[in-house]
Amino acid sequence: MKQFRSMAYPYVVWIAILIIIPMLLIIAYAFTVEGTAFFQGQFTLANFARFFSDAVFLQVLLRSLRIAILTTVVCLLLGYPAAYAISRAGASSTLLILIITLPTWINMLVRTYAWVGILQDGGVLNALLGLLHLGPFQFMYTDFAVVLGMVYNFLPFMILEIHTSLSKMDPSYLEAASDLGANHVKAFLKVTLPLSVPGIISGITLVFLPAVSSFFIPKLLGGGQYVLIGNVIESQFLTSGNWSFGSALSLIMVIIIMLSMYLTRRIDKNREDAI
Amino acid sequence: MKLNHRLLSAVCSGALLTGLLSGCGGPGTDFDGTNQTTSDTDTLRLYIWGEYTGDELIETFEEEYDCHVIVETFDSNEMMYTKISSGDRYDVLVPSDYMIERLMNEDFLQPLDREVITNFDLLDPNIVGLEYDPDNTYSIPYFWGTVGIVYNKNTVDRADLEEQGWNILTNTKYQNRLYLYDSERDSFMMAFKALGYSMNTDKDDEIEAAYEWLCNVNNTMHPVYVTDEIIDNMINGTKDIGIVYSGDAAYILSENEDMSYYCPTQGTNIWSDAMVIPKNAPNSDLANEFINYVLTYDASYDNTEEVGYTSSNAQVAADVYGEGGIYEGNEAYVPRSDYELDEVFRDNEYLRQRLSELWIKVKAGGTA
Repeated sequence: MKQFRSMAYPYVVWIAILIIIPMLLIIAYAFTVEGTAFFQGQFTLANFARFFSDAVFLQVLLRSLRIAILTTVVCLLLGYPAAYAISRAGASSTLLILIITLPTWINMLVRTYAWVGILQDGGVLNALLGLLHLGPFQFMYTDFAVVLGMVYNFLPFMILEIHTSLSKMDPSYLEAASDLGANHVKAFLKVTLPLSVPGIISGITLVFLPAVSSFFIPKLLGGGQYVLIGNVIESQFLTSGNWSFGSALSLIMVIIIMLSMYLTRRIDKNREDAI
Repeated sequence: MKLNHRLLSAVCSGALLTGLLSGCGGPGTDFDGTNQTTSDTDTLRLYIWGEYTGDELIETFEEEYDCHVIVETFDSNEMMYTKISSGDRYDVLVPSDYMIERLMNEDFLQPLDREVITNFDLLDPNIVGLEYDPDNTYSIPYFWGTVGIVYNKNTVDRADLEEQGWNILTNTKYQNRLYLYDSERDSFMMAFKALGYSMNTDKDDEIEAAYEWLCNVNNTMHPVYVTDEIIDNMINGTKDIGIVYSGDAAYILSENEDMSYYCPTQGTNIWSDAMVIPKNAPNSDLANEFINYVLTYDASYDNTEEVGYTSSNAQVAADVYGEGGIYEGNEAYVPRSDYELDEVFRDNEYLRQRLSELWIKVKAGGTA
C-alpha cells in the first residue's frame, strides 16, 4: 500500500488550494476589522458581537434552520417510499434512477426559474386551477414556494442515498425474517429500516446542508423580503462590501453545520453500538 | 468515499452556480465567437449592466474599429466594485453616479481624453457637469432617469398619488398590492423624501425616522421586494403599484397601456449611469474611441430603442419622445429636470453602511 501513498499528493494539494486556504481566509476576515483589505486589519471580535447582540440575526438564523429542517423532513417523507419502491422495482430500477437524476442534468438556477413561471400569479398552476374554477392563489413569495423549491432541488440527493443503502441489502435477510414468522410490516421495521439508516443519515446531511445555506432559492421564490442566513451572507459580500461580517456569519454557519453533522454521526454510532 | 465525492460535487456545482449568478451569463460573453488570443491593442473589455446595449452596438463598433469586444455584465454597482477593487482589469465600465464618485475618491479612474471624445457636445445639458464630476473629467453619461411609481390607472386613484406621493406606500387601501425594488438606496430614498429630508443626509435621527417609515411599510403593507422581475410583473399587471426606474417604466408603459408613471412632488432621485475608464485599463485609447462612438446619434439611438432608458444624447432623446418617435408621449421616458427637490446620490460611506445594516432589518422584520 505504501507505494501508492504518493498518489494522494495531488489530492492533498487540491484540498489545500480549494478548501483549506479559503477557510483560513474566511477565519482571517472574520476576526479583523470591517473592510475588504484585511491585511491592514487588526484583531477584533466585533463581528461576532454584532451577530449575537442583534436579535434580528438570530431570528434569521432560526428561520433558516426551520426552513431547512422542514425541507429535510419533507424530502425524507417523500424520498423514502420512492427509494424503497425503486429498490424493489427489479429491472426497471435503473430507468427509475435515471428519471430521478434527469432533472439534475439541467442547471439548478434554470430549474428554479421554471418554478417562478409555474407558481406566479398568472402562471401555469393558477391557469390550471382556473380551469377547475379555483383560485387564483398566491403561491409565489410564501413559505410554500420556498420549501417546494428546496424539496424539488434536493430530493434526488435523499432518494439516491437511501436507494444505495437499500439496494445493497441482502434479500436473504428478509427471507430469513419471514421464515421466522415476521410479517411484512415487522420485517420492514426490524430489518429494512435499521439497515437503511446510514442512507437516511447521509441523505439528511446532503439535503440539510445546502438547504440551510441556500440563498438563491429563497431569493427567487420567496422574494427579497424572504431573508435567510444565506441571503444575509450574500448581501454582506456582494452589496454591503463588509467581508468581515460576512465571514463571521459564514464561520458561525460552519460551526452550526459541523455540530449538526457530529450529532447525526453520534446518533448513527449509538445505534450501531446498540445492535 | 461516496459521500465525500457527492459532497465535493455538490460544493462544486454550488460554486458554479454562484459564478453563474454573479456573472449572469458567465464571464466574457464572446460576441462573434472568435477566440481571445487577439492582442491587447485591438481588444476592448466592457463591463456593463445586463441588457444595457442595443442590438447592433457592439458588432458595429467591432467592424468600424476592426477590433474585438469582450462584454461582461453585472447586476449591481456593488458587485462591479468588488471585482474592480480586487484588481480585475477592464477598459470601459458603466456604473451609476454614486459609485463613480466612490471610484473617483478611491483613485480607480483615469481622466478621459476629450481630444478623442469629440461628440461630447451632443450630450443633454441636464446631465453634464453633475456635482460629483463637475467637468466630466472622468465620466460621460450613458443613460439617465428618475425613480418613480408605476401604477395601474384603473385601480389606483391618481388623486391619492398626487396628494400622498411616496406616502401612498403607507396607505392600507393598497395593502398587498405593492412591489418595491430590493435596493437599500432606492428604498431609503423614498423614505427620506416622504419625510421631507435629503436623501444624502447623515443625521442619525433622520436615518432612524426613515428606518421606522420603511418598517411601517414592510409590516403593514406586505410589499414584495423584487429586482428586475418587477418589469414583467408590472407588464402582466400582477400588482397595482411598483417602484421602478424610469427607463424600465417607459418599457412597461409601452407594453401595458393600463399602466402610468408618476414622480412624487416630494422629490426623487435623478440617477445616471456613465462610462468611465479605470486606471489600470489595458487599452485606454480604444476605450476613449468607444465612449465617443457610443455618443453618436446612431449608437445612442440603437441603445435607447432596445433598452428603453433615456438617452444621454439630447437629439436622440428628443426624437424618440417626440412626434412619431418610438416612445412618443411616454411619460416615463423624459425625466423631470430642474426640480429643486430632486437629488443626485452622493457617495457617503457612513450612510452607505448604516443603510445596508438597516435594510436587512427592515426586510427580516417583515417575515418574523
